[in-house]
Amino acid sequence: MNVEFKNVNKHFGNVHANKNINLTIPSGSIQGILGENGAGKSTLMKVLSGFIHADSGSEILLDGVPVIMNSPADAIKHGIGMLHQDPLDFPPMKILDNFLLGMPSSFFPNRKEATQDFNLLAKEYGFSLDPENYVDSLTVGERQQLEIMRLLFLGVRLFILDEPTTGISTAQKEKLFTTLRKFPEQAMTVIFVSHKLEDVESLCDRVVVLRAGELVGELTPPYQTKKFVEMMFGKEVTLGERQSAPVGETVLSLNDVSLEDARLKIKNINVEVREGEVIGLAGMEGSGQNLFMRACAGLVRPVGGKIQLKSQDLSGKSYHVFKRNGVSFLPAARLEEALVPGLTLTDHFVLAEEPRGIFIDRVAGQTLTQERIQSFNIRGTPHTPVESLSGGNQQRAELALLQNPLSLILLEHPTRGLDIESVIYIWGKLKERCKQNASIIFMSSDLEEILQYSDRVLVFFSGKISQPLDANKTSVEELGELIGGKGWAEIGGEHA
Amino acid sequence: MRKNFARLVSLLFVFVFALSACGTPATEAPPAETEAPATDAPATEAVTEAPAEPFVFGMLLVGPYNDGGWSQAHYDAGLYVEEKTGAKMIYLDKVNPADRPGTTPDQLAEELVAQGAKLVIFNSDDMKDASTTFAKANPDVYVIMASGDQVWPDGKAYQEIPNLMNIMGRMEYGKMIAGCAAALSSTTGKIGYLGPLINDETRRLTASAYLGAKYCHEKAGKTTDLEFKVTWIGFWFHIPGFTTDPVDVSKDFYTTGFDVVISGIDNSVNLPEAKKLTDEGTPSLAVAYDYINACDAAPEVCLGVPFFNWGPDYLAAIQSAADGSWESQFIWSGPDWSDLNNHDTSAIGFVKGDALSAENVAILDEFIAELAAGLDLWTGPINLQDGTPYLADGEVASDQQVWYLPQLLEGMQGLSASE
Amino acid sequence: MLKSRFSGLLFQIIALALSFGVVSLILISIDASPTEAFRNMFKGSFGEMRKFAEVLVAFVPLLLVTAGLLVTFSAGLWNIGVEGQVVLGAIATTWVYRYFLESDLPPALIITLAILGGMIGGAIWAAFTGILKVFGGVNEIFGGLGLNFVATALTIYLIFGPWKRPGVASMSGTVPFPDEFSLPLLANLRISPWALGIALIAIIIVFFLLQGTYFGLKLKAVGKNFRAAYLLGIPTWQYAMYSFLICGALAGLAGAMQVAAVYHRLIPSISSGYGYLGLMVAMLINYQAIWAIPVALFFAALNIGSIQLPIVMKLDSSLSGVLQGVLVLFALLVEGARQKFIKKGQNT
Repeated sequence: MNVEFKNVNKHFGNVHANKNINLTIPSGSIQGILGENGAGKSTLMKVLSGFIHADSGSEILLDGVPVIMNSPADAIKHGIGMLHQDPLDFPPMKILDNFLLGMPSSFFPNRKEATQDFNLLAKEYGFSLDPENYVDSLTVGERQQLEIMRLLFLGVRLFILDEPTTGISTAQKEKLFTTLRKFPEQAMTVIFVSHKLEDVESLCDRVVVLRAGELVGELTPPYQTKKFVEMMFGKEVTLGERQSAPVGETVLSLNDVSLEDARLKIKNINVEVREGEVIGLAGMEGSGQNLFMRACAGLVRPVGGKIQLKSQDLSGKSYHVFKRNGVSFLPAARLEEALVPGLTLTDHFVLAEEPRGIFIDRVAGQTLTQERIQSFNIRGTPHTPVESLSGGNQQRAELALLQNPLSLILLEHPTRGLDIESVIYIWGKLKERCKQNASIIFMSSDLEEILQYSDRVLVFFSGKISQPLDANKTSVEELGELIGGKGWAEIGGEHA
Repeated sequence: MRKNFARLVSLLFVFVFALSACGTPATEAPPAETEAPATDAPATEAVTEAPAEPFVFGMLLVGPYNDGGWSQAHYDAGLYVEEKTGAKMIYLDKVNPADRPGTTPDQLAEELVAQGAKLVIFNSDDMKDASTTFAKANPDVYVIMASGDQVWPDGKAYQEIPNLMNIMGRMEYGKMIAGCAAALSSTTGKIGYLGPLINDETRRLTASAYLGAKYCHEKAGKTTDLEFKVTWIGFWFHIPGFTTDPVDVSKDFYTTGFDVVISGIDNSVNLPEAKKLTDEGTPSLAVAYDYINACDAAPEVCLGVPFFNWGPDYLAAIQSAADGSWESQFIWSGPDWSDLNNHDTSAIGFVKGDALSAENVAILDEFIAELAAGLDLWTGPINLQDGTPYLADGEVASDQQVWYLPQLLEGMQGLSASE
Repeated sequence: MLKSRFSGLLFQIIALALSFGVVSLILISIDASPTEAFRNMFKGSFGEMRKFAEVLVAFVPLLLVTAGLLVTFSAGLWNIGVEGQVVLGAIATTWVYRYFLESDLPPALIITLAILGGMIGGAIWAAFTGILKVFGGVNEIFGGLGLNFVATALTIYLIFGPWKRPGVASMSGTVPFPDEFSLPLLANLRISPWALGIALIAIIIVFFLLQGTYFGLKLKAVGKNFRAAYLLGIPTWQYAMYSFLICGALAGLAGAMQVAAVYHRLIPSISSGYGYLGLMVAMLINYQAIWAIPVALFFAALNIGSIQLPIVMKLDSSLSGVLQGVLVLFALLVEGARQKFIKKGQNT
C-alpha cells in the first residue's frame, strides 16, 4: 500500500504539532520515522490511523486516492492498523477472546474455527502463543505479537508501530524484526516510529526525521549515526565518558535470601552493594529482576535469608521501614505506581517532604516545586497535574521527588521511552546521587545502558542470578548470551 | 471546572424559583380558588365577622386518605363536616416516620395552619406527643387528638390543655360484635386476630373481641374449644422493612386452622387473602375493621365490619370551635343503640357481611339487642392473661379499667406487651 | 482553560434545564402546573422565617453527613454505610441521655456527653465497615449496606424492646427526654442555633482538613492512587480507616443532632434518609467542600418545600426526590458528555 501525506498540518491550540508534512511511503517498504519526544511523530501517526483529524487542507492519499478517516475503525477498513506504545488489550481475558474482539463475525463466534485460524497465523509468523492462555500472563513482547496477529486477521496492509521496542527483550525484538521484514514480501507497508537509532538503522529501508513538528530530512542506507543525531537534535550528543565511582562501605547486603512469587523461585541470593556503586540488572522480562528489586525495597518479603541495610537487619520489615532507612524505589509504571494522577507537582513535592506541623505551607511548597522544576528541567508548572506531563518529564519528576540523604535508590527501567537527551540528563542526576554516597540498583532492557552506567552487572535468567560481573570486563555480546541462558557455566551462577 | 456546577445549580434554582414565585400570581388570580386564606391572612384577621369566610380545619392522617380503613374513616368524616357546615378541610396523609422521614407531625400541623387551618385533627395514637407539643405551642389553634387521653381528667396522663380535645368512639362494642360474628361462623373454633402494635387501645379492643367471641361461642352452644390468638405486626399498617407483613400473618392463620381472622389494623388486608385462600380450597372468613365500606374488598368472605363514624363528634367539635363554645374535653362516644348504623348519631357501627349465614345473623342481632339492653361483657369474674384477678365476680369494669387494660385476658393467646 | 470553563457552564445549564424539564413533563403528564409546583416549593422553603427554619433543621444533618462523606470520598471510598452511622449516632446519643436521666449533672454537660457519645457511636459503626474493607476484603459498599440494615433493625428492636415506653411500644419512638436535654432552640422556631453552628463549623473544618493539611493531601493521594500513595510512604490502610472514623463521627454527630435538637428521643427513621441524600449532595458537588453549603441547603429546601405539594396541590411530595435524583443523574451524564467533547476537541 502506497501512502502519501500532502501538506498535513495539525494544531493543538497554539502548538503546531505537525508542520506542513509532505511524505510519500512506497508500497512494500519499511519506513522509519525518527525524532525525539514531542517531535510530532505520534501526532502524525494518529492522524494516519484515524484517532485525530488533521487541520483542514491536509490530505492523505492511499494508493493515490484521497481518504478521510474518522475513527480507528475507519482506518482499519482502509487497511491501516496501529500498534501502540502500550498495546491496547483487555487483560483479564483469554488470548482467543481478545483475538476475537473486533472481528466482523457473528454474535456467537465459532471458537473452534477461530482457534484453527489463530494457530495457523501464529505458525506462519513464528509466534508461540496459546490461545487458551490469559492475556495478563503475557509479556509486553507477547502482547505485541498478539496485537499484530489481530491486525493481520483484520486485513491490515499498513502497519504503524509506535515505539514497539520499548519494554521488550532483545530476543523478542529480534523476533519482531524478523516478522516485520516478512511484510514487504507481501506488499505490506510498515511505518516504524522510534527514537532508538540502533533499531531504526537495523530495520528500516528508509528513514525520515521529525524535529519540532517539521520533517527535517530523509536518509537511506547506509546510515550514519552522527547524521541522525544531528538531524534529531540539531546538534551532536554523546553519552559521555563512563565514570566509575570510588567503592565505599557496604550499604546493602543480602545473605542467603530466597524469594518466591507465583511464577518464580530464586534461592540463596548473596549480594553486597557498596556506597556510590551502580548495579545494573540485566535479563529478559520476568526473569526475576523485579522480584529481586522489590525485595530490596521491602515490597516483597523474602521466604528466607537476611537483608541488611548499613548493618541494620531489615529482613521481613515493611516497605515503609525500608523507606525510613533511606531506601527509595522508583517503579516503571509511573502513573500506576509512582505518581498520583489528579494531584499537581506541588502536591507531590509536599507529600514527599517531611510534614512540618498540620497545615501545609502552600507558598513554601510552590517555591520548593519551582526550584525542583528548574533544577530537574521539568516542563510544567507547580500547578500541572502529573498525568499531563510527558513521559520524560514524569520520570524527571520522580527523580526530583527523591529525598536527601538516601542510601539506596532502586529504579525499574529509569529511561524507558525517553529520548536520548532525557536519558543523559537523568543519569547525570543519578550519578550526582552516587557522589553523595547513595548506591543505585536499576534494571533495564537496554544492554548498552547497563554497560554504560553500571559498575557491576547482575544477570537474571529464569530465577538464576549471576555473580556480579564487572561492567568494564564484560560486553553486550556476553550479556546477551547470558540473558539468553548461554554461558552460565563459565561465569558460575549463584545457584542453578 | 465542575466547581461552577454547584454554584450554577444553586443560583439557577433560586432563579427559577424566584421566577415561578413572582411570575405566577397574575395567572393564579382568576381561578380564585380556596387558597385565599393563606395569602390574605392579615386581611381576614380584620374582617372575622364576614360570614362568607369558611372555617378551615386541617387533618393529619397517619395512612393514605383512601386506605379503606382508619384514615379513610377520618377523611370521610371531614367530608361530612364540610357538607354539613360549609367548612373547608385541608389534609395531609401518610404522616408517619416511614413515608415522611425528617418531618414531625407538629411541624406538618404548622404547615396546615399556614394554609389557613384554625383547627387541626391528629388522627393517630402515634401523634399524641406531637399533638401535645403543637397544642401548647399554638394556643390559638384548636386541636383534636383522636384516640388520645391527654385531657381526660380521670386519665393517667392528664394535662390541662385548653385548646385540645380528645375524641374516641367506644369501639369495644364494635369489637364484641365482631368477635361474636367470628365465633358464630368459625367451624374450628380457632379465631385469629391481626393486631397492630401493642398499647392500651389495642389491648382493650382485642380483649373486647375475645369477650364477644367467648360469649357467643357459649351462647350458640358450639362444641369446639374456643381458641383466640393475636399476632401483632408492629404498626398500624404494613411498612415494608419496619413491620411484619399482615398478609403473611393472615395466611399463617388461615393455613393453620384459624378459619376466621379479625383485622385490628388500620386496613383489612385479611379480606383479599381470605378470598384467595377460599378460592384455592381453604375456606377462610374475615372480619374487617375501621371503615364502613371495608367489606367491599371481598364481600363473599366478609362476616362484617365494625366501623368508626367520626362525623357526628367532629361536627360538634368543629362547630364549637367556629362559634366559640369550644371546651377542652375527653369524649368517648358509644353507639346509638336505637339505630346502630345511623350516620348522624352513632359514633361506631357494625355492618354485617355477606358471609354471615342467616342463622348467625339472627343470633348476632339477638346479641346486639342484649348489648343495647345493657349487657356488659366487662363484668367479672375476669382474670388477666397471667392469671391475676382483674374483675371480681360481678364487678363491672370502670372506664379507666377498660381504657388502661394492663394485659390481655386469661384465655387469649399472644403477647400482652412487646418484649 | 477559558474554553473549558465556558463549555462547563454551558453543559451545566443543560443538566439543570433537563432536570427541571423532566420534572415538568412528569407534572404536566398528571395535569399539574410545573410553575405552580415550583412556586409552592419555593414558598414552602423560603417563603417565611418559620419555613426557612425548617429548611435549616434538615440542612444541619445533611451538611454534617456531606462533610463526612467528603472525607471518605477523598480517600476513594464509597461510604454507603453513612446512613447506618447516622442511626448509630442517634442510638448512642439516646443511650447516653438515658444513662444520665436521673443524674444531677448539669444538663449542658449531659448534652455535651450525649453528642460526643453520638460521634463515637457513628465512628464505631463506620469502623466496622472499615475493618470489613481493610481486613476482610469486603467492599465498603456492600459492608455499608449490610450495616445499614442492621442499624435499622437495632433501632426497631430498641424502640419496641428494651427502650420501649412504659407498657406501650410505639412507632413514635422512645419516651421524649426532658426539655433541659434539648439543645436550645430559637424562640418559636424549631431550629437550634447550636446545631447550625456545629454543622457549619464541621464543614469548615473538613474544608481546611482537605484543602490545607498534610492529612488531607495524603488522603487524596490514597484516594486517587492507592499503590503510588503507599510507595510515596503513606500508611494507606490506616488513612482509609481514619477517613471512615472521621466520616462516622460526623454522621454520628448528625444523628446526635437529630436526637438532641430535633426529635428529643429515638424514633424508627431517625436518620430520615439524610445519609443517602448526603451521598447525592457529595456527588453533585464533585466532592468539593466549598460547595457543600449551598447545595445541601438547596436539597434541604427541596425536601421541606415539597411538603407543600400534597397539602396545596394534592401531589406526592416524593417529587422533590425525583428532582434531586434526576439532577444528580443529569449532572453526571452531562459531565461525562462534556469530557468526551473536550477529548474529541483536543486529542493529544
